[in-house]
Amino acid sequence: MALKVLFVFFAALVVAGGLFAITRRNMIHALLAVVFTFINIAAIYLLTQAYFLAVVQIVIYAGAIMVLFLFVLMFLNLRTFEQQRQTHTKQRWGAAILAVAVLAEFIFVLAGITFTSAKGGLTPEAIAAQGGQTRVFSDALFNQMLLPFEIASVVLLVAMIGAIILVKKEKAASLTLHEWGEGADSPESTVEEEV
Amino acid sequence: MHAASTTMTIPVDWYVYLSATLFIIGAAGVLIRRNLFIILFSVELMMNAVNINLVGFSRFHENMIGQNFVVFTMVVAAAEAAVGLALATALYRNRRTLMVDLFTEMKG
Repeated sequence: MALKVLFVFFAALVVAGGLFAITRRNMIHALLAVVFTFINIAAIYLLTQAYFLAVVQIVIYAGAIMVLFLFVLMFLNLRTFEQQRQTHTKQRWGAAILAVAVLAEFIFVLAGITFTSAKGGLTPEAIAAQGGQTRVFSDALFNQMLLPFEIASVVLLVAMIGAIILVKKEKAASLTLHEWGEGADSPESTVEEEV
Repeated sequence: MHAASTTMTIPVDWYVYLSATLFIIGAAGVLIRRNLFIILFSVELMMNAVNINLVGFSRFHENMIGQNFVVFTMVVAAAEAAVGLALATALYRNRRTLMVDLFTEMKG
């Protein structure tokens, strides 16, 4: 019972953090709301007894990925973006109505479904008998999922090389940057000039 | 009796409802906002909604594959963040804006 109360509490915080994140004008506030959401998701993992994933969620997701976002945000001139229009004028109401409709559809479908467990046998007691959650987790990761694990390292390598190539300054690119650099303070005017 | 009292006290439906809600919030963020960074945050929210589902069902079906899969989702999220941020940096350097409806060079 206490678990259910805690789950509802953290789930409400997750939803509140998500809503807060997509409605902020200031990008740093939105980022902090996303980090808050991720920490509450880690609490939900703890309630599910996925202890290793809860720690990974905080260290990798909230700690590494979102701080990477924060670093890049710090390079930008954030004030100019706060003063601009934040939403698409034409599609925002349609998108909001569509989102609510799809959520209602989800709830309508899910209310009619009862899930049946596959009973894989890894109950908390069985996991404790096999040496704990992290040991069972890594046993499955390095035996059954070894090939996807190795492919994941290739994905990370490709992403790293791609990121380096994308941000690298080329000679031709820096020329166009100089042409555009002056007098392009307001983005709207840049676009008009270019058109 | 002890085993029955400790197994699966949170119904799996609750995970699916939470996951659906968070996913819809992320999708609405992608559709409504103009700011490229908020759109990237919304994509991260959607990926986490998927992870909640995977963890909830992993516990429900009493195996570890779902939790293993969350690791791969995180790998893809990290790769997506790295490439997405590189693209955002390159776009900002060239155009001095982050509003996605102003990037219209590819329009035919």
